[in-house]
Amino acid sequence: MDFALLRDAFWGLTFDGLALGAIYALISLGYTLVYGVLRLINFAHSEVFMIGTFASLVASGIMGVKVEDDPRTGWKMVLTLLVCLLFSMAASAITAVLVEIVAYRRLRQRGATKLATLISAIGVSISLVELFRIITDSLPREFPRIMDKTFLFSYAGADIRNDKVIVIVAAGVMMFALERFISKSRYGKGIRAVSMDETTATLMGVNINRVITVTFLAGGLMAGAAAFFYILTYENTSFKVGFFLGISAFTAAVLGGIGNLKGALFGGFMLGILETYTSAVFGTAWKAVISFSILVLVLLIKPTGLFGESIQQARV
Amino acid sequence: MTKNRLVSLVATVGIVAASLVAFTPAANAACSGKLKIAYQGPLTGPEAALGLNELNGVKFALKKFLKANPKANVDATVYEVDDQGDPAVAGPIAPKVAAEECVVALVGPAYSGASKVSLPIYLSAGLPIITPSATNPTLPTFGKEIFHRAVLTDDYQGPAAARLIVSKNKKAKVFLVNDASDYAVGLQKTVDISLGSRVVGKDVTPNGTTDFTATIAKIKRSKATAVFYSGYFSQAAVFVKQLRDSGSKIVFASGDGTLDNQFVKLARKSAEGSLLTAPAIPFETASPALAKEMVAAGWTPGVYTTESFDAANFFFEAIKAGNTDRASINKYVSTKSFKGLSKTLKFDAEGEVSGADVNGFIIKKGKIVLLGAIK
Repeated sequence: MDFALLRDAFWGLTFDGLALGAIYALISLGYTLVYGVLRLINFAHSEVFMIGTFASLVASGIMGVKVEDDPRTGWKMVLTLLVCLLFSMAASAITAVLVEIVAYRRLRQRGATKLATLISAIGVSISLVELFRIITDSLPREFPRIMDKTFLFSYAGADIRNDKVIVIVAAGVMMFALERFISKSRYGKGIRAVSMDETTATLMGVNINRVITVTFLAGGLMAGAAAFFYILTYENTSFKVGFFLGISAFTAAVLGGIGNLKGALFGGFMLGILETYTSAVFGTAWKAVISFSILVLVLLIKPTGLFGESIQQARV
Repeated sequence: MTKNRLVSLVATVGIVAASLVAFTPAANAACSGKLKIAYQGPLTGPEAALGLNELNGVKFALKKFLKANPKANVDATVYEVDDQGDPAVAGPIAPKVAAEECVVALVGPAYSGASKVSLPIYLSAGLPIITPSATNPTLPTFGKEIFHRAVLTDDYQGPAAARLIVSKNKKAKVFLVNDASDYAVGLQKTVDISLGSRVVGKDVTPNGTTDFTATIAKIKRSKATAVFYSGYFSQAAVFVKQLRDSGSKIVFASGDGTLDNQFVKLARKSAEGSLLTAPAIPFETASPALAKEMVAAGWTPGVYTTESFDAANFFFEAIKAGNTDRASINKYVSTKSFKGLSKTLKFDAEGEVSGADVNGFIIKKGKIVLLGAIK
């Protein structure tokens, strides 16, 4: 155990943990939204994220960026980054909506059991992973460096790097936008209504199918943004990228209270920081053991997660 | 009723006995068609990249052999055995390969774990094998007389890696990182022993780790001058990139799991100056002309392509010399020698290659450059 490292490099580790947590939080929003509305764990959500990372890769190609190029500067860089971000968000959102239509909608309309839907979700997830494994020849893909990575400033021994600042700030903006959408817009109201009581919402004239599509769309957009921020920071992806991140993000959602937006945000950031701290103190190999033990502990004390379940309670 | 039962019992016993006879592989069954060379390794799944590197080497060797010897009684396709690098998959497949009477020789298995379960089955069927990449030192006890290995074991690579790091900096202080796989843990152990007191810290980053922040913080604090990463290229690339992006300029060294053009491709500028070791030699380095020809034929060479190419060619040499069954081919490769691209293949009583070296490499201007044998 190396508590001295945590003490000496505390702010650096915290900052890096926040950047990782921002990505977890964005993905976990998708799990939470779908669970809030359908009471379904969307296991294919990790692949919605994976497809987003590949979409960024395609977008960088369309923008003419080559792997061996020097990083871009000025408005060209901003434009390239924005195109990649929008491309990722669009691809993930479309995937999420398609998954819902193909794998869940018919099952739901025929009154299938939750178990059948769950298996359908796992099936979609595995087939998407295998499809991308075949397309990519099982090889990881590199993402070009669009933006030069520089240290902006140093605070208490922590070197603050530009790309991570962008990830944290942009993720915050996305989450704020989603929160406004859920609490203020007409569709947001619909989502909250369905998550409270599906039958009553239908009787009140809420179009369930449309609300569900919007839910998947919103979750997909967030996962797409996470995918872009991930590939911007780590600059590579592979067919299996969704698996580990998906599990972590799902854990974050449960930690905060699944079905609860604030919970997903808090859970994401908390897990990111927790993983970074435990890696420093106990060694990276112990990261999963310690983080997941804490998850079990939290659930033992508070079975509904830190913020409790369901979207309507997260209303501001 | 009793009589009927008796009849059905006899019938059942008969069927079982007949099927046992039918499915027991016969060691000396004659092949009536063309002879086949098999390759065994991971051809699908996450480890597929390595298996495909090797399969391509075997395919290329076969193509060249048939072009030079059009009348040879050898099938034009390689008999592919996909064990996914997993012992659990290899176990049920190996008997089928052994029962295939026209398969007279096998290049592989690629992985040590899969080798341990496959070798006893090939031993009982008398099927000769040359593995191009399974480096676990205990394998000869499983394969006995049919086992041959075209590379040196992990017992050699670790100490060589340690010597390479120290040769570049006499006062080197090294931080060790491994990815928790069998291969990585075994290799790191030998590096650790060889470096002794020069090791200033260790961390384990299990396969699948994407964020190395904490490990890098540890490395910086340990004041290490070099880091040795034991694991495979895809994660090594992610690691070295994050290391460089953190501002660290210490030496990055790694073993044969990282010796792949993919590593350079993924890590790009961050890979510059990396020191790598391997009991293998890249195809492009061993023979630039053949590598060009291979790429033109549609196959990309990678790590262990050269060793697979050599192993397959040794078998073809045996067939060319008039050996057409498993026993005589085994005798040929066990007793004769063959000058391959990587080294001269001459196996000792254990099936181990002798007189071979562990090579050192450095990444320079985006290319893997051979430094030569590590003395």
